[in-house]
Amino acid sequence: MHPALSVIVFTTFSGMGYGLFIWICGNILIGTPPFREEIIFGTSMSFILVATGLLSSVAHLGRPERSWRAFSQWRTSWLSREGIMSILTFGPIIFIGGETYLNTGLDFLIMPMALLGIIGAVITLYTTSMIYASLKAIPAWHNKWVIAGFQVYALSSGGVAYIMVAGWQHYQIVMDLLVFALAVKIMTWIYIDRNRGQYKRESALGLSDFGKAKPFEPAHSQKNYLQREMGYELGSLRRTVMRWLALGGGFIIPAALLYVGFPLAPVIVVICLIGMMAERWLFFAEAEHVVRLYYDKDEI
Amino acid sequence: MTCLPDKTDKKLGLLIDLDICVGCHACAVNCKEWNTSGITGPMEDIKPYGDDPSGVWYNRIHSYEFKKPGEVDRTVYFPKSCLHCEDAPCVTVCPTGASLKRSEDGIVLVNPDVCIGCKLCSWACPYGAREYDTTGGVMQKCTLCVDKIYDETIPEERRVPSCVSTCPAGARHFGDFADPESNVSKLAAANDARDLFPEMETKPVNQYLPPRKRQIHKEKSLNHKVSNVKDAMLRWAKLDFTG
Repeated sequence: MHPALSVIVFTTFSGMGYGLFIWICGNILIGTPPFREEIIFGTSMSFILVATGLLSSVAHLGRPERSWRAFSQWRTSWLSREGIMSILTFGPIIFIGGETYLNTGLDFLIMPMALLGIIGAVITLYTTSMIYASLKAIPAWHNKWVIAGFQVYALSSGGVAYIMVAGWQHYQIVMDLLVFALAVKIMTWIYIDRNRGQYKRESALGLSDFGKAKPFEPAHSQKNYLQREMGYELGSLRRTVMRWLALGGGFIIPAALLYVGFPLAPVIVVICLIGMMAERWLFFAEAEHVVRLYYDKDEI
Repeated sequence: MTCLPDKTDKKLGLLIDLDICVGCHACAVNCKEWNTSGITGPMEDIKPYGDDPSGVWYNRIHSYEFKKPGEVDRTVYFPKSCLHCEDAPCVTVCPTGASLKRSEDGIVLVNPDVCIGCKLCSWACPYGAREYDTTGGVMQKCTLCVDKIYDETIPEERRVPSCVSTCPAGARHFGDFADPESNVSKLAAANDARDLFPEMETKPVNQYLPPRKRQIHKEKSLNHKVSNVKDAMLRWAKLDFTG
């Protein structure tokens, strides 16, 4: 699949934003709330990350001015459900940040809102992952690793952001999470690498009993939309480079910097975000769509 | 609404005979001709006369060479357009309701006034049936010529999709697959009709008839008897054309 910057920014930024918000809410719930300024800063950052991600996804649309229509089909469409959940989850984010800032006397609602915030963020992340995991035509996405990954990477990258926001008291857990996320990523790659080749061109043509098929005359002289959107061919060198960039930036370097107590937390956040963007770039670039069986791929 | 209908009254679709198709692209050309001024048109053409033309087509004609040990290679021309699936994944993923499957005849359509151009439907379709209109910012696809097959101002025998009416070889048939007595159902039943990509569980309505079994006359077709008469003039004189 073509790795479009808009969808990469959408999922990485909103993932980190929701992860950070889950960390803030979790700490409020277990009785170790961050300081007032930290909550205001953290919820603002969470809001900005999520909003940037969502605006970026809207920029991906052909008719962005109609994007409000996307809230209507929640009965069947994961994209629609994601849109609705992301808007609903703004409620707790804005409430916790706003109430902490304005102090209107509704602070007894902070605890229930924190619980709702965690539930909302987890469901939103799930709906985002299901946009991809529900597509049978893209085997690299149509599996449980994708669903687990979106949750785990949000928590690990959000944990790094939380350290920047509220200090180092949980850095051990964040480090463990980064290592766990690293393991999930590697397991995901092992899974998709081992499951290549399950769909064949002959079956796509409905002619499995006619022997081996290869393309003869191309259907069109120039690349069409299908090949531009779904025909991305990832070279093996670039794959290796990007995989190391994703592992290093997304998980290993942030974990190492936390381990040595690197003092500039914003730098760790930036490194982690760049690594997650490399990870998400690969998520698209490595995902082969079965429509390529009609073109250049013998099997997928 | 992007919920799929439980059951459609009709299952209108195409039956494409791969044994007959000669790969002339006339169906694709006439499809473009009709639909570019049809209800979901225009179908864009970017730099149509330049070095790198691109644009939207609802129908594309692929071709493949099949090799099977012990058999002579076979060339198959393979027209591909929307299969109007019963379990159309492109419909259920649509966040706006622009993508729909009609309960009366099963035709899958995109409402260009509601589509937001998120392209998710094209990701969900295993067959590459949908193409994106960069000019209008919306998705486009085969309409089964819904604005032709119901048009009572044209003679009844011409109320078939334009790809079917134009096929010079008679490789394309149009009809109701829900009716076991229809032309397409009978042809499908008699000729081992195939679903494309059954693993995708989309239940395509359109069916493909595979190339028929070859009649093998080994000594005739593969081992020509070579004439003993070498001289072409003499061969004519003897009316011996075996070589």
